[in-house]
Amino acid sequence: MILQGTLAIWQRDMLILRRSIISELVAVVAYPLTIYLAFGIGMQSYIGLVDGAPYSLFIAPGLITMTAVSAAYNESVWSLWFHRRVQFTIESYRVTPISVSEIVIAKILTGFTHGIIKGCAVGLVIFAITPFRFPLEHLFYYLLFLIPGSALFSCAGIISGTVMDKPETIGKVEAVLVMPLIFMSGLFFPLSSYPPSVISWVRALPTTALFEGARRILVAGEMQPISALQVSVSAALAFIAAVAIFRKKMAE
Amino acid sequence: MPTSSIVTSALTKSYGSLTALDSFDLEVDQGSIFGLLGPNGAGKTTLIRILTTLMRQSSGTASIEGLDTLRSGREIRCMIGVVSQENSLDRYLTARENLELHARLHGMNKKLYKGRIDDLLELMGLSGRQKDFPDTFSGGMQRRLVIARALVHQPKVLFLDEPTTGLDPQSRRAVWEYVRSLAGSMTIFLTTHYLEEAEQLCDRIAIMDHGRMIAIGSTQELKDRLSGATVYEIEFTGDGADRYATLLGSMSCVNNIAQIGNKVAVTLECWECLSEIVTALDGAPVRRISLQERTLEDVFISLTGEKVRE
Repeated sequence: MILQGTLAIWQRDMLILRRSIISELVAVVAYPLTIYLAFGIGMQSYIGLVDGAPYSLFIAPGLITMTAVSAAYNESVWSLWFHRRVQFTIESYRVTPISVSEIVIAKILTGFTHGIIKGCAVGLVIFAITPFRFPLEHLFYYLLFLIPGSALFSCAGIISGTVMDKPETIGKVEAVLVMPLIFMSGLFFPLSSYPPSVISWVRALPTTALFEGARRILVAGEMQPISALQVSVSAALAFIAAVAIFRKKMAE
Repeated sequence: MPTSSIVTSALTKSYGSLTALDSFDLEVDQGSIFGLLGPNGAGKTTLIRILTTLMRQSSGTASIEGLDTLRSGREIRCMIGVVSQENSLDRYLTARENLELHARLHGMNKKLYKGRIDDLLELMGLSGRQKDFPDTFSGGMQRRLVIARALVHQPKVLFLDEPTTGLDPQSRRAVWEYVRSLAGSMTIFLTTHYLEEAEQLCDRIAIMDHGRMIAIGSTQELKDRLSGATVYEIEFTGDGADRYATLLGSMSCVNNIAQIGNKVAVTLECWECLSEIVTALDGAPVRRISLQERTLEDVFISLTGEKVRE
C-alpha cells in the first residue's frame, strides 16, 4: 500500500493542530488539572495513602492516561464525523488516487498523535506542580501503555465516527460507554475495592490493563507485560475493525 | 471518428427493490461537453458516483478512457477531476492549502504543483484571496475554488455535478465561462437542473428518468424530436381575441389553442399551416404574430412529466 494519502492527510491535520495548539492545550489541560487539584490535593489529607502511595501520586498516571486516550478518542470521532457528514472532505479525498484504507489510517494516526501530545502536556503540568519525579526508565516503559492505549481509543473513535451519523449519538456513547470504561478501570481507586466476584471481569477489560499497568509502572516501577500485551492486542484488533468498518461504510 | 471517453453498457444499480440505474447505456466522446439532465431521483448522482468509482454497480460495465471502473479505480481517479454537489472545501485550510492538499493526494511534487496552483488561482480570479479561508468567500468564489481544485492534477475527464446550484446569475455565468474555456482540452461530464446551462455549454445532452435514458442528442436534435408541431402566438388589439380564438380552434390544422387575455397561442401541425391561419385572420385586428421557439425545458417536461418528484 502506498501511504502518500495517509501522509498528506496526517500533515493536513497536524497543520490544523499547530495553528490552534495553545487553545487546544489550555482546553485539554484544564479538565484533568481541575480533577487533580480537587481530588489529588484537596482530598489527599482525607484519603491518605492508597496502595502505599499518596493519593495525589496514585491518581496522576491515570489522569495523564485519561487525557491521552480521551483526546485520541475525541479527535478521531469528531474529526471523522465532521469530515464525513458536515464538510464532505472524506468524499473529496475518495475521488483522488488514494485508497479508503489510507484515509482511515491517517485519521487513526491523527487521533493517536493528539492523544500523545495532550497526554504529555498534562503530564508535564502535573510534574511541574508536584514534587513527584518518575525515573526515565519508568517513563519509557509507561510509553508501552500510553502508545497502544492512545491507538486503541483512536480506533474506537474512528469506529464511532464511522457508524454514527448523529452528533447526539456520539455524545451519548461517550457518556454511557467510554467514560464509564475509563472511570471504572481504577482511575481513582484501587481495583481491590471491587467485590471479588467482579474483579476478574474488570481485569479482562483492556482499559483496566491500560490504567492499572500505567499506574504500576509509573508509581511502583512494576512492569506488567501481560497488561501491556493486552492493550497492544486490543489496539491491533481495534485497528483491524476500524479499517474494515470504515471500508464497509464507504462501500455502501 | 471521435474516441469514446466514457462508456457504460447495461449499467444497473439496485438498492434492494429500488432500481436507481436500469440498463443504462452511454457513450461520451473525448473532448466533448456532455450534459446529463433528469428530475430529482432520476439516477444522475448514482451514475456519477459509479463513474467516479465511489460506488460499485450491481451489474453492467462502465469505463473511463478505456479503463474499467471496477478493476482500475485508482488509475481512473488519477485522471478524473470531480466537482461534487456538496461544497467539500476544507474550511480550516486556506484556498491555496486546499489546492496543495489535493495535489499531494495526487502524488504531485511541490515543484510541479506550485506553478500549476499559481496558474489556476490566477485563472479563477482567486490569486488575491489565496491565503484566505473558504468560509470568507462568496458562493461563486467557493465554487470556482472547487473547480480549481478539480483541475490541479490536469484531469482528462472532469465531472461537474450541479456545479452552479445556488449561485447568483453573475457567478453562474462566470463558472460557465471557465467551463467553456476548458472545452476541447478534456472531456466534461455535467449534470444540472438548469436547462439553460446545459443548452449554453453542452455539445450533447442526455435526459434520464427512473434510471433510464429517455433521450439523447444535441439541443437542436432534442427540440426537433419533441414533435413536428409549431406554436405561434397571435396578439390582437381591442377585444376580438375571444371570437378569433373560437374561429382558430375550429380549424383542422390547429392542434391546440390557448388564450391568455388578448394573446392566443395556436399549435399547428406544421409550419406550412401558417398561411391558412393568416388567411383566416384576414381583416382581424392582429398586432403581432410570433413564432414560439421550443425550449429545452419544453423537451424536458414533455419527456419527464410535470409532476413534482419527491
